[in-house]
Amino acid sequence: MGEKITFKSYKEMPINAMSIADMTWNLTGSWRNIRPYYDFKMSPCRLGCPAMEDIQRYIFLVTEKRYEEAWGAIIENNPMPAVTGRVCFHPCMDKCTRKDFDQAINIPAIERSLGDMGLENRDWMKKVDASKKEKVAVVGSGPAGLSCAFYLARMGYQVAMFESEKALGGILRWGIPEYRLPNDVVDRVISQILGSGPITVRAETTVGRDIGLDELEKEYDAIFLGLGLMKSRSLGIEGEKGKGIEPGLEFLKKVNSGETVSPGKRAVVVGGGNTAMDVARCARRTGSDVTVVYRRTMNEMPAIKDEIEEAEKEGVHFHFLAAPKEVVRSGGKLAKVVFQEMELGEPDESGRRRPVPVEGRTFELEVDTLFTAIGEQADLTGIEKKVECEWNMIKTTGEAGETSSARIFAGGDVVTGAASVVDAVAAGRKAAGKLDRIFTSADEPAVEEPKTVGIEEINTAYFHQTKRTLVPRIPVEEALKGYLEINSGFLPEQLEAEADRCFSCGVCNFCDNCWMYCPDVAIVRLEDSYEVNYDFCKGCLVCVVECPRGCISTREEGK
Amino acid sequence: MRPAKIPTEELMTSGHLACQGCGATQAMRFALKAMGPKTALVIPACCWSVIDGPFPHTSLKVPICHTLFEAAASTASGLKAGLEMRGDTETVVMAWAGDGGTFDIGIQALSGAAERNEDIMYCCYDNEAYMNTGIQRSSATPVGAWTTTTPVAHYKKRPKKKIIDIMAAHSIPYIATASVAYPQDLIEKFRRAREIKGTRFMHVLAPCPTGWKLAPELSVAMARLAVTSRVFPLIEVTDNGSTWKVWKDFEQTPVADYMKPQGRFRHLTDKEIDSIEEEVDRNWQIMLSRERLSADLPGLER
Repeated sequence: MGEKITFKSYKEMPINAMSIADMTWNLTGSWRNIRPYYDFKMSPCRLGCPAMEDIQRYIFLVTEKRYEEAWGAIIENNPMPAVTGRVCFHPCMDKCTRKDFDQAINIPAIERSLGDMGLENRDWMKKVDASKKEKVAVVGSGPAGLSCAFYLARMGYQVAMFESEKALGGILRWGIPEYRLPNDVVDRVISQILGSGPITVRAETTVGRDIGLDELEKEYDAIFLGLGLMKSRSLGIEGEKGKGIEPGLEFLKKVNSGETVSPGKRAVVVGGGNTAMDVARCARRTGSDVTVVYRRTMNEMPAIKDEIEEAEKEGVHFHFLAAPKEVVRSGGKLAKVVFQEMELGEPDESGRRRPVPVEGRTFELEVDTLFTAIGEQADLTGIEKKVECEWNMIKTTGEAGETSSARIFAGGDVVTGAASVVDAVAAGRKAAGKLDRIFTSADEPAVEEPKTVGIEEINTAYFHQTKRTLVPRIPVEEALKGYLEINSGFLPEQLEAEADRCFSCGVCNFCDNCWMYCPDVAIVRLEDSYEVNYDFCKGCLVCVVECPRGCISTREEGK
Repeated sequence: MRPAKIPTEELMTSGHLACQGCGATQAMRFALKAMGPKTALVIPACCWSVIDGPFPHTSLKVPICHTLFEAAASTASGLKAGLEMRGDTETVVMAWAGDGGTFDIGIQALSGAAERNEDIMYCCYDNEAYMNTGIQRSSATPVGAWTTTTPVAHYKKRPKKKIIDIMAAHSIPYIATASVAYPQDLIEKFRRAREIKGTRFMHVLAPCPTGWKLAPELSVAMARLAVTSRVFPLIEVTDNGSTWKVWKDFEQTPVADYMKPQGRFRHLTDKEIDSIEEEVDRNWQIMLSRERLSADLPGLER
């Protein structure tokens, strides 16, 4: 810092009227009324993600071509981006600020690209050895179980996974058709997770039947139940048990195991969820004429919107406001199904309007196979004795999946009812975190309401309107020929282009604006951050306005 | 270190005496990043003769010769001649004057130097009035503006003087406008100008929160809106004043968006703003027609 020069007599002055010192003694920070300060917020997309993926950060790392770190940023919250990038219902995109400017960022496509890179680059997943004495049994190897096992193993706990089927994956393997999620991807994701740390597997072992929870309790320090819902709910109508009527999940399981299926010329799928869409689209692929019958309307369908659109594109018919009433067989074969027409009444506890039968209005459809996809149930045999269950689901008492039994946790569909892969992943991770805190007697982390930003905080002068980069997909005629994956991933240039669209809401991405525009040279530019030099900042707040993403907040001085 | 958008070298220091959000200091900081340390400045009476600091202090790391209000261009010419006499051909002499010292008081010296094609750069940082003496109107003050000498009841009725046209009429090798909202463009133009011999005239719009009655945090935003509303087009005039190039690659914004946040225009009715917009559009069309015309001119090296 320069010193202020005060001449005591003219003799001290330079011979010419020339400057001999700088101005840095003049601490203009004292002029400041309002103080700007760096205050990164949480991007709305992250708040919208059930798994709290740090979306802004991995997209930023993609823009810097730091792919391994970007993948690592996802893995902190979700061990299977190659899966969720394909099948997630992406609530993050509904929160994306860019939707209020032009179109939301194609987040799942970016996630998928990184997930696939993580499967290609096998050295990215660093193996962790057992470093803790505690052992945890994880029951069920669907997304919840895999996620819980992965995060426990990351922390050095020894995990034993129990699975009743021969192959791991649960709903990922048996419930989602290959055109959305190829078995090969499931295989590679699972082998990556299993290879990441001290995880052992006991397949073809059904907990509750082959081995009791009591036995597990003796052998393990804690148990996580991620059983999923693997039983189709029945329609509850007469003649349901018999030829021509098939539970949707069983059909999907056959399809996914490569069995030949032939639902016949006319197939009807009852239900409006994702299973119904998957069943309908698989049946279309056998050449059947497929109609989905749902008791409410399109608006109430719980299926992912994209899936409904895809099904329509593939020629699936929809019949709303109807439910099966009676089946008619002739010669042992299914001949006709009688449907009851419905109308929407008062909203029920889910907030959706309850369908009620319209008196005397029925119709018939000729049907070769009727698939039931009105919901799935858990098989809680041997479980319900040990932990409190409700509505055929495990009852949890806390955020992390605590149950009525200490040291038994649960998560995923078996707790929430049919939800999504990402919800299950989040539940598994939360349980793992809580178990770690129990084992290490650590304090619960402080919960703070995160600050976020909206379109008002974005300086849109720095962005141009563009369209979302769509993933390349195969034509419908090709898709209907088999189970080839419909969406291919982004090409490298598409990945780059889409990542570049991100506003990076509320988080600095080193655009230099604050530093560049400061009239007082009071922003210090460091390697991976900026600092305000309060000795000189006059508080003009140009930096606050010119930050394109709302990273700088203000407060009044002296308050 | 991550590559920066603009050069990281700082030839302007903190501690200077500019008001909060001063566009003239941003202009200086960017210009010196382009010019480098081998630059000698000539500053006539203007905001910058105050901003720099009181004797014997300075906030710039290049030499400055403070001079009389009317004498920026002639002092710069003399300084350049002196340097040449001493065999220094490397240092570029740049006059750095406000709009008063350029459009009004210094125009005779500037016209003389340009006509002789003196080997100097001349930058006018334009805040559109005599700001440090108390916001009196200059011939660079835009039509419609309030100043202390054009109070609301008698706001400025005459349009801003077209200094670029005047300079182009002097057939000098390089003329450019630049904005503090577009630092990369500004730096590029100053670099280009630095390499050219002869008189080079730069015109930078420098928002003045104090005189424009503007929230200081909006100074860069105003500079940007001046460009996108076409009030202050970014142009380059080369080939001795004959080739015009106008930057058009932006999303156009209404003139009202530029004028409404500024207190100096608060008294204007929507109708008056509309008629100003018409005038802006007219000037823009003239600029484009010059660009088209010069594109068709045969035989000139560009």
